[in-house]
Amino acid sequence: MIGDNFGNQIGRVRRLVLFCLFATLAPFLAAQTAATGTLTGKVVDASGAAVAGAKITAVSADAGQAQTATTGADGVYRLTLPPGYYRLMFEASGFVTVGIASATVAASATSVLDGKLDAVAQNSQQPATKSPEKPAEPSLNDLGFPTDQTAGNAAEQMRLDRRSHMLKIHQRLGLVTAGALVATLVLSNGAAGRNSTSSGRELHAAVGGATAGLYITTASFAIFAPKIAGTKTRGPIRVHKALAFIHGPGMILTPILGALAYEQRSSGQKVHGIASAHGAVATVTAISYGAAMLSVVFKF
Amino acid sequence: MNQRILAAFWLLAPAMLFGADSQWVLGQSTLSYRVSHPLHESVGVSHQARGKGVCHAGQCDFLIAAPVKSFDSGDSNRDLHMLQATRGAQFPLVTVRVALPETELNSATIRCDLEIQFGGQTAHYKQVPFQREVHGNDVRIAGTVPATLTDFKIDPPSLLTVPIKNDITVRVEMTWRPQ
Repeated sequence: MIGDNFGNQIGRVRRLVLFCLFATLAPFLAAQTAATGTLTGKVVDASGAAVAGAKITAVSADAGQAQTATTGADGVYRLTLPPGYYRLMFEASGFVTVGIASATVAASATSVLDGKLDAVAQNSQQPATKSPEKPAEPSLNDLGFPTDQTAGNAAEQMRLDRRSHMLKIHQRLGLVTAGALVATLVLSNGAAGRNSTSSGRELHAAVGGATAGLYITTASFAIFAPKIAGTKTRGPIRVHKALAFIHGPGMILTPILGALAYEQRSSGQKVHGIASAHGAVATVTAISYGAAMLSVVFKF
Repeated sequence: MNQRILAAFWLLAPAMLFGADSQWVLGQSTLSYRVSHPLHESVGVSHQARGKGVCHAGQCDFLIAAPVKSFDSGDSNRDLHMLQATRGAQFPLVTVRVALPETELNSATIRCDLEIQFGGQTAHYKQVPFQREVHGNDVRIAGTVPATLTDFKIDPPSLLTVPIKNDITVRVEMTWRPQ
């Protein structure tokens, strides 16, 4: 009997997890299956003349994938892209590279984005012809930075953008989860002890289940955020991550123990066995979750 | 005759001195930006700036650059957020150009017009005061650049939905040596 109910509870938790995962992944899945759009435009120089052979790189804000196109003799380029937001780079020999932070491509539509390139300043290339006796103004080449420190990396920027976007959602959902967690703890008064009622237990279980779902969604945005190669974790964020090893298992264990306790109380039994640890595990989980939030808020 | 030669020398000496080329190279440096959030402040520091100065005909041009990635606030997560917000992967260097009269280099307070390229944007700051101290061959320069996020069209990063303040002052401490 208890085993069947426990199985039902596990089944509910599993459905909840699947629902949360689906809700998280649905936008990505939808993006993969949508129709493509077209991004086109003309690249000109400062005088308005067409620039042939210019390279246009579009990097997806969602997937981080890059596509390139080259302008023809008329300066026109054309890119067929999945709908979404793109960062664009216009590059051509003898011209200053131009970056455009965000361009939108809609499904089954043509977006027009023209580019204007300025020629590389002559004095940085040919100082001797302007003033033979004058030493050249210092340039970046004089400073001797390694190439990997001076070359822009649009794909890396896209990864950073996506990481920050996902972690921003992680932060916001984390706040919502904290509110739900506090509500669950407050409602536990009506689920246990002398004043407990059947409706109190059900309400506590429902809000607790929602908290667990929110928590899983919150965590997934941090877990699946792109990792940046070559970055060592340092500072308070280490504490934040370490505490996840406490509240993470706690958030899984607490609903399971709660389901057991709920079943025992509903069948008229006193909560016993491992289910009696529900309150303690929930308290440790809530404290570690709160500490994880504080670890990124206050400097130490 | 000797008096004429002497007089000609004194007349021409300043022009000859100003006309003499000189070059400067940046030695040690500390650049630190300060960001403020209602809940705390943090400071990112870089010691990896490089610089060169060229003086000619009484006019000096200086170029200083530092990798955006090299700023360390002691928290890797915060540094990655700043790197993202400042478009540091796409525009990996912050560069500062200064043009000033060579005579200004001898002042105790040097007032500089700065052209700063950062995050794909260029901002100009007029008459920023820097204190100058001479220690043997070394010239130490220290000052604060009153930069803001909006100068470089940077969206302010936020913590718990509260954005950081717009002011992002940059403290500059540099030691220059003649080359």
